[in-house]
Amino acid sequence: MAEVVIEVRGLTKHYPDAKAVDGIDFEVRAGEIFSLLGPNGAGKTTTVEILEGLRDPTGGEARVFGVDVRTGYAKIRDRVGVLPQDFEPFDRLKPREAVAYWAALFDRTLAKKDVEDVLERVGLTSRADAQSMTLSGGEKRRLGIALSLVGDPDLVFLDEPTTGLDPSARRDLWGLIRGLKAAGKTVVLTTHYLDEAEQLADDVAIMNKGKIVSHGTPEELISRHGGGTTIVLAGAGQDGAAVLAARGIPATVENGNVLVHVATPSEVRKMLATVAAVEIPVTEIYTKRATLEDVFMKVVGARMAEGELAA
Amino acid sequence: MKRILADVRAFGVQFMRSRVGAFFAIAFPIILILLFGAIFSGGGSTKVPIYVQDLSDSPMSYNFTAALNATTVLEVRTIPKGEEILTYIRDHSLNTALRIPADFQTKILANQSVNVTLYGDPTQSSYGIAYAAVNGAATQFNFEIARARPIVLPETQTIAARNLKFIDLFLPGVIGLTVLTSPLFGMTNVCAEYRTRKFFKFLATTRLSKGEWLASKVIWYSFLMLVSTAIMFAVERLVFGGVAVITPIAILLIIAGTFQFTSLGMILGMYVRDTETAAAVANAIGFPMMFLAGSFFPVDTMPPALQVVARVLPLTYVNEGLRATMVFGNDATALLYLGITMVIGVVLFIIPAKALSWKSK
Ligand SMILES: Nc1ncnc2c1ncn2[C@@H]1O[C@H](COP(=O)(O)OP(=O)(O)OP(=O)(O)O)[C@@H](O)[C@H]1O
Ligand SMILES: [Mg+2]
Repeated sequence: MAEVVIEVRGLTKHYPDAKAVDGIDFEVRAGEIFSLLGPNGAGKTTTVEILEGLRDPTGGEARVFGVDVRTGYAKIRDRVGVLPQDFEPFDRLKPREAVAYWAALFDRTLAKKDVEDVLERVGLTSRADAQSMTLSGGEKRRLGIALSLVGDPDLVFLDEPTTGLDPSARRDLWGLIRGLKAAGKTVVLTTHYLDEAEQLADDVAIMNKGKIVSHGTPEELISRHGGGTTIVLAGAGQDGAAVLAARGIPATVENGNVLVHVATPSEVRKMLATVAAVEIPVTEIYTKRATLEDVFMKVVGARMAEGELAA
Repeated sequence: MKRILADVRAFGVQFMRSRVGAFFAIAFPIILILLFGAIFSGGGSTKVPIYVQDLSDSPMSYNFTAALNATTVLEVRTIPKGEEILTYIRDHSLNTALRIPADFQTKILANQSVNVTLYGDPTQSSYGIAYAAVNGAATQFNFEIARARPIVLPETQTIAARNLKFIDLFLPGVIGLTVLTSPLFGMTNVCAEYRTRKFFKFLATTRLSKGEWLASKVIWYSFLMLVSTAIMFAVERLVFGGVAVITPIAILLIIAGTFQFTSLGMILGMYVRDTETAAAVANAIGFPMMFLAGSFFPVDTMPPALQVVARVLPLTYVNEGLRATMVFGNDATALLYLGITMVIGVVLFIIPAKALSWKSK
């Protein structure tokens, strides 16, 4: 198994009026994308800022590269890159200047070509000489990622890198983040987008109210919390459910649709044939795989709007 | 050091790209000095009062006091003949007084040397003005001035009073004013912005320390202040024909002053919540200091109570020090004030560099 990069044990951060982080444990291994997924106020930023040496925890242990971040952060600073939440670049610096400047703050001198490479990597080449305040939201975020990469870190913290961006800009950033993983970097990604965690993360910890309520790969989470597949008999209604029940098939009704839950993928085809053979009026029959959304409904009880969690 | 220089460069580029920054660096000093020049070039009403006790009371001594008045920087007032001059000075809190001896006319007519006595505190700029003026008038009369108090510090009076223009007295004040306002207002605002926009947090993830960041700002503002000074100096010379000089001590004082007000700006900026509050706090501190610290008139021409206040304001030492070295060639006083300014600067620097945190709680 890969080296443990981050180790968190019983970590707490209490404020007078809130337990922002309330006893969490997790590990992040080298080369993986670890996602902290949770609604607003879950404690994601607090957690990563503790790991970035920016806040002191109230209790517990937080180690990055084996170093206690409370006391030894200076030792590992060079191996860590950070994109803060709601990152905004310096208004009047051009991306090209900002990259060279930030590198110098890590005592690195980037040759012209190195700067070009970094900008190329985040797709900002064409905007390299525009003042940063004229960049679009997505471009600003990409510049932020560029800055987090200038120190050539092994570990990158991205705090809600795609929040507020349009779907295509988000997809672009996903490509960029996958590229980081491909380059061998460990990525800690906080997000409140389910699809983002599902698409990118190797390991997901769902946070709510300062606690980790569920933790595993996206697949594990889905199968653990009522995963599997659902067959939907659209428009079958109560009557349809009754007919199925009479034949010993457990079914539920939701919005006039009958839902039949199948736990294991191998049984889907058989069950589909069975219910299709039953004479009930339906407008449509289709199958639906469980998603992280379903997991969320269960473990957080959060509502969703356009794939985004609202607490 | 490389980090600091990179930060200076990035900060400077941003500063100059913002129009406001460039305005304050270049245009504002010109406007200020033109304004002051226009207001005071007519002689103005702000003259240094000199109290003269004329024991001679002769045509010759009248000529002499008339010559003093003609220097345009002094306003001659009289101390009655019968008074004991030291008592009178103390009772009336006078800053400078001059005694013309009874044998003034006799000795001059006899072509003997004569001593007039100038009372006052040599470290005060009004004493310098008075001394320079009296000295200037005396050369016409070809006699010596005795200094009433033993002068502890060596004096090198290089500027003849008749050449001294009023704008010369104001140039140091205007420079001091710029050294106060640019770094103080600039830094308070920058810090508030950096905090609300979380730039400090972001910077905290790099190797740059708070002390280095602050040092970089001190370097930038010092550079800016020296440029502003050069501009103001050039305008003073070319437009108003001033004779004040820029000395090495003046340059050090400008840097030391910038150092302390940049640091003070950071302290204010770290404690206030947002940029609006920052501006309000900087104004609340900056404006009274501007007036009380002798930017517009020498401190010892102010009422005694306010002089006490002025003595505790850091800007006072910048202003008076600059005046001493640039106008009166009184480098000893200037050095003392430079020392005071540096000590205050170091204290103000250490506070934000050590005590304030970039981290959030
Ligand atoms: N400095 C602070 N003082 C007091 N409470 C705080 C402070 N910082 C965070 N909190 C509280 O801690 C909780 C967790 O905040 P945090 O910013 O970590 O959440 P988050 O998961 O990052 O949310 P979001 O998705 O909105 O960014 C919130 O209830 C917040 O109000
Ligand atoms: Mg957050």
